Amino acid sequence: MYTSSMLKKEFLNKWIKGLQICCSSKNKMDLMERKKKIKLSADIAMASANKTATSWSNALISEAKKNKQDTILVSQLLGSKSPLKLQKSTNMIISIHKRVQCKKILKRSCFNAGKRMMKKKKKNLGISRSNFATTIAKRLVKKRTKVLKRLVPGGESMDEVSLIKEAMDYILSLKVQVDVMRSVVAAAEVLIDDKLLKLVE
Amino acid sequence: MNPQLPNTLQQQCFYNPNDHMFANHSALVKPDPGMDEYWAGLHAGAFCDDQLGYGYMNPNPVAQPVETDQALFLQGNSSSVSASVSPKKRKSQSLQVVSDKEKKTKGCSEGDSRITHDQNSNSKEASNNTSSKDKSKVSEVQKPDYIHVRARRGQATDSHSLAERVRREKISERMKYLQDLVPGCNKITGKAGMLDEIINYVQSLQKQVEFLSMKLATVNPELDFNIDNAFAKEIFQCSTSEFPALGCSSTNSAYFQLNSMDQGGVSYCGLDMGINAAEMGLRRSISAPISIPDQTFLDSSCYNQMQPSGVWDGDIQNLYRMEYEQETLIPFQSHQFTGSNEGINMKTET
Repeated sequence: MYTSSMLKKEFLNKWIKGLQICCSSKNKMDLMERKKKIKLSADIAMASANKTATSWSNALISEAKKNKQDTILVSQLLGSKSPLKLQKSTNMIISIHKRVQCKKILKRSCFNAGKRMMKKKKKNLGISRSNFATTIAKRLVKKRTKVLKRLVPGGESMDEVSLIKEAMDYILSLKVQVDVMRSVVAAAEVLIDDKLLKLVE
Repeated sequence: MNPQLPNTLQQQCFYNPNDHMFANHSALVKPDPGMDEYWAGLHAGAFCDDQLGYGYMNPNPVAQPVETDQALFLQGNSSSVSASVSPKKRKSQSLQVVSDKEKKTKGCSEGDSRITHDQNSNSKEASNNTSSKDKSKVSEVQKPDYIHVRARRGQATDSHSLAERVRREKISERMKYLQDLVPGCNKITGKAGMLDEIINYVQSLQKQVEFLSMKLATVNPELDFNIDNAFAKEIFQCSTSEFPALGCSSTNSAYFQLNSMDQGGVSYCGLDMGINAAEMGLRRSISAPISIPDQTFLDSSCYNQMQPSGVWDGDIQNLYRMEYEQETLIPFQSHQFTGSNEGINMKTET
């Protein structure tokens, strides 16, 4: 797969840069700190390795920026690569998010008001089986879309259609990330075992 | 709703003899004037079937392209429909613009499947001329602004439900793409089940990332990644292969007897494929029977000098608990550090 290998290369490049940046700063780091740094640099490298700015990548980067500790690292990683674009898209996302939330609040209030009306009107309690099944199915789907929205970064402010698309992108890039990380880990292990062997000898 | 079609359109609507019902169900919708700016700014070519979801009337009915015989015009209360449609569309506009660029640039499997789907849809358009089946059709018109949707036989034709149906079809279409992405989704048909699988897969991938980053943190206490530059160069030299094969060659230690493993390479792969096939059948019941041949395999390999098998056991079982590990099981089984099936194919070739 041509583009996935390109993606892998880019990701690897950026990740190594990020790791070098963050390990050059401090010498002694906790295990957990190290792990966080590694993961952070991997995530940001992944997000920026996309040539096109998808919304989940923007969301990832903006979330990382909010964390004060990591902003320096993030800005260094990204460099001067179109910070304006990111800002624009993040602003857009924020505005969309607010809009969606306002709508949701309105919907909820209307729904609750409508519920009372419906209860008064509903005299027929005979719910057919198919209706019952469909309502259950709808509820399940809603629950799961909520969960998916939480999983995919930046997924809160998306409608179902684009959520699925973002999920697809995210899955692809996660796959790439896992592959690259696994190989790097393996290579690092080989190196260390090599060193140990040499020491023993 | 009375269809007020001009004669040309009526003829075109009657094109398909079996669709005589359609004449009664045709509808027209007027475009929201506010939407025109957005639509005008968007690429015609970029919008294939799954981008535009709603029907708009083409202001120039005479200039209808061939697709009008398959097209149906939606009629509704223009203001209300367009008003309800527009905010949604505006919201998704920005994302769609972004996603369109991505659509163009990303030629990966997702894009491939989409491209094939687009081709299919184009061929669909051609075949719809001759097909007598009633199909809902979302076709691209030469003027980029409008999508024409045909109401199915016996279904409601107000623009709300039509729009709903189009939206639902988009969603199901994308679910199909996701089925290709997420392994093991071929048998599941319902939306809820599919979403469940997707959620599990994303969670497992995220956990893998965490696990791998933790592992890297333990393995490499100094976080000295300057050495990796050498690896990186080697990696980039070889485009298709997976990295560790090169890493092994560069270390040049007796520890990695890759050359000798070439003879065993075929058996490696046979075992891998066998395990892979077995694993695919036993998606959720991954348990001891599979891990046992794994451990014997490990013992018989030359990798005794590697980390104590206890660690690997923990790793393997940890990963076994995760679902959808067709890729991950392979490297941990074989210690070949191949991240995907490509690596295995490479091995069989060499």
